[in-house]
Amino acid sequence: MQSRHKTAARLALMALLLTAAAVFAQGHVTTVEDSGFEKRTRPVVAFEHDAHNQKAEIYDCAVCHHVYENGEKREGRMSVGMECSECHLSENNRPMELTRAYHRMCKTCHLEKSAGPVQCAQCHSRQNAPAK
Amino acid sequence: MHELYKLASGIFVWIAILGFAAGMIGRLAHLAVTARKKDPVVYQYFSFYYALRSILHWIIPFASTGMRAHPVITVVAFVFHASLIVTPLFAAAHVILVMESWNVSWWHLPDPAADVMTVLVILGCLFFLIRRIVQENVRYLSTPGDFVLIALVAAPFVTGFWTYHQFYGYETAGILHMLSGELMLLCLPFTRLFHMALWPFTRGYAGSEFGALRRSRDW
Repeated sequence: MQSRHKTAARLALMALLLTAAAVFAQGHVTTVEDSGFEKRTRPVVAFEHDAHNQKAEIYDCAVCHHVYENGEKREGRMSVGMECSECHLSENNRPMELTRAYHRMCKTCHLEKSAGPVQCAQCHSRQNAPAK
Repeated sequence: MHELYKLASGIFVWIAILGFAAGMIGRLAHLAVTARKKDPVVYQYFSFYYALRSILHWIIPFASTGMRAHPVITVVAFVFHASLIVTPLFAAAHVILVMESWNVSWWHLPDPAADVMTVLVILGCLFFLIRRIVQENVRYLSTPGDFVLIALVAAPFVTGFWTYHQFYGYETAGILHMLSGELMLLCLPFTRLFHMALWPFTRGYAGSEFGALRRSRDW
């Protein structure tokens, strides 16, 4: 009888913890997601948004969340909350153009700073969620 | 690692591509001029019709009696060469890298297909290696350089396979993949691998001589 109570208590505690984790995870970015990629051909890219920016000392959102108009970067404006595909998928809907935008954003900076992953497998690690 | 990657994905790519192109054009031009001087008969007998007739019979599997007499090497050679040429040009990762750098792209293979073809190239290299060791007449003609060439061709495929599958040390394999690919490209015009550009001319000349002069077939 007592063991049943214990089991119920454990389950309740687990449910509580899971709920808390789910609530906490809201808005906490851990992978690169974009609805523009209908089908993944490579494993998903792990990206701890906050930890990355702390480590990279990026405090200006517009460094990544940029806004371009007529080929010119608009200073003081940013695209936070938008998906990259909103601008980076052309009218003919070629996912490779979106891939290119992501690769250029991440890899170019990593190469400039000589820090962070630059090879395919370093980002698209098979230890992350698999391709879907 | 970053510095090596920058070199391998930057200046080395240009050295490899320009060296490959200049080497190919330069050697073909040099041979054309030398043949004009020392072997003018090549030009006298050359016939497009007989050249193409011969080439056609040697690029279709089993279209020549020589191939029918040696079915194993025929299958291996065709599968090996097709995979060797198609894989690097149409591997998805390569097409994406080209698109990233120059904003041009073309059709690409599904990853599993490129994976299988990579294995076929590696197996082909092993076959040619064993053949050079085991088959007496081939062994007699083999030089140490021939073994180095097999290694040179296999290296980009072994390292590509390694880094794609993310085996232990895949980052080093990735760098070695780039470097060995560039080295192979650079060696193409200046080694026996030059048959890549030369074969239509040698085949074409043989076809011309046999067809126009001896009135016979060379397949």
